[in-house]
Amino acid sequence: MRNTLAIAWREIRTYFSSPLAYVVIGVFLALNGYIFWVSLWRFSEICLRYGNSPYIFQQLNVNDMVIRPMFGSMGIIFLLMIPVVTMRLLAEERRSGTAELLFTCPVTSGQVVFGKYLGAAFLLMVMIGVTLSYPLLILNSGAHPDMKPTLVGYFGVFLMGLSFLGIGLLISSLTDNQIVAAVGAFGAFLMLWVINWVADSATVTLAGVMNLLTAGLWERLHFGLGGPTLGDLLNRISIFEHFQDFRKGLLDSQHVVFYASVIFLSLFLTQRVVESRRWR
Amino acid sequence: MIEIRNITKVYGERRAVDGVSFSVSKGEILGFLGPNGAGKTTTMRILTGFVPPTSGSARVAGFDVQDDPIEVKKRIGYLPEHPPLYHEMLVRPFLDFVATIRGVPRAQIKARVDRALERCGLTPVAGRLIGLLSKGYQQRVGLAQAILHEPDVLILDEPTVGLDPSQIREIRDLIRSFSGEHTVILSTHILAEVTMTCSRVLIINEGRIAADETLEALAARGSRTRQVAVRLARAKDGVEAEFRAITGVTSVTRSDGKPGAYIIEIDGDRDPSEEIAARAVGQGWGLVEMRPITLSLEEIFIRIIRGEAA
Repeated sequence: MRNTLAIAWREIRTYFSSPLAYVVIGVFLALNGYIFWVSLWRFSEICLRYGNSPYIFQQLNVNDMVIRPMFGSMGIIFLLMIPVVTMRLLAEERRSGTAELLFTCPVTSGQVVFGKYLGAAFLLMVMIGVTLSYPLLILNSGAHPDMKPTLVGYFGVFLMGLSFLGIGLLISSLTDNQIVAAVGAFGAFLMLWVINWVADSATVTLAGVMNLLTAGLWERLHFGLGGPTLGDLLNRISIFEHFQDFRKGLLDSQHVVFYASVIFLSLFLTQRVVESRRWR
Repeated sequence: MIEIRNITKVYGERRAVDGVSFSVSKGEILGFLGPNGAGKTTTMRILTGFVPPTSGSARVAGFDVQDDPIEVKKRIGYLPEHPPLYHEMLVRPFLDFVATIRGVPRAQIKARVDRALERCGLTPVAGRLIGLLSKGYQQRVGLAQAILHEPDVLILDEPTVGLDPSQIREIRDLIRSFSGEHTVILSTHILAEVTMTCSRVLIINEGRIAADETLEALAARGSRTRQVAVRLARAKDGVEAEFRAITGVTSVTRSDGKPGAYIIEIDGDRDPSEEIAARAVGQGWGLVEMRPITLSLEEIFIRIIRGEAA
């Protein structure tokens, strides 16, 4: 644990002693601040307009109209920012030769991988944590945001960011080149985002796919052709799809389990990649 | 302390290290000598557990590099060919970090870092950014990083590359100061470095060990006379045949340039120098010069690398 924390701490120092952390956090805050401010302004406009029709006024909700769009935009900004955060983690270590230091010290590759991950997670926490001030800022105004669903949303954003960090770290372990790592991570995130766009038209069932692959054997064995469709599967593996309930303020354990699995799997694979690359 | 048995490392088609075996006892300073690309770095990387060998085994202080990598790594200090430094860090925080992951107890970190800074002459630059230091200072930071935890075994891959002569001297003195307490393996392709710091030399070429002996034994190879240069004032025609008749002489050649100069090659355990002198004087050829031709360490090294007998 001491080794892991030492590696994480060194990673954090590196982030914050270079312009990288400040640029990433600064751009993230600027974009989110702008989107938050625009949504809030529009909300107050609508409130003013319908102020004297109590029925509509009752329906207006700051959580729905201001905070939910902010979470949505955070997801999109992650898509562009997280590759920048993860690209150097392992790629740079290999290129500069400091990997030779880490892997000849009495630390395991698991500790190195997890330490680096924690370092990046700290940066993410700072990034998201500062934006908590936006809803807090309007807490005592007339808008009265409901903090419980807001915090659930924050939890979801953090989990989604952590999943992205895991995948980014995995891609950074595959190459010595930071640009390749960044482009690869960006591509992977985008793929995981758009993967369920065809879900509605992918009505073929998974059993049907299996039947096709086994040249009709599946059907003859009476396994059945019903059940979930390919579209259902695509929805399940889309990182953004699992975020939708958090955005609405619903805490559902299946989504937490999904993100935890993505994080665990990507860290596990990263450790395997790091270990296997020694043999080449 | 170190025991390497029959290690082989294959990269694709290339055999970087091919069946290397040797052992180093405690307190020894072993010079690892060989031309570039001979397999020095690969052997060292196997020993430090950075790359696994294709076959064979390496043990440090009784622990196998493959089976107990953590125990081995705790006992090793390693300076790779390119010092592994985080250029965006300051010298002292970097050494603090390395001390932590090398397992130095928290309470001792400050004292150990101070000591390493002092031994490597880094105290004045402790607060500087590593990336802005000169090559010589960076090399010293690399060395400080390797000796921080007072390891039993110190492995240094070309530690004096890129340093100026006075820095080279300081580093050599520092390495010499480790003998006795620590076991040191030092790789280099500079022969002088070995003669100044090491007690034993291991010459490696094309992945195989070409020679493994003490410095004295290596030097003794050169002083074993194989050739005698003779110069005569009144050389006659029958000189070559006359010398060749002496037992132990294999060939006599007239050396170019000076008149009356010959090179006599000798073989076997018997040294026929005395007989050669007596013959020359007895025939009245006017012996004016006679000297054994010895090989310098440099020539021995080159002969070993080329696979010739030295």
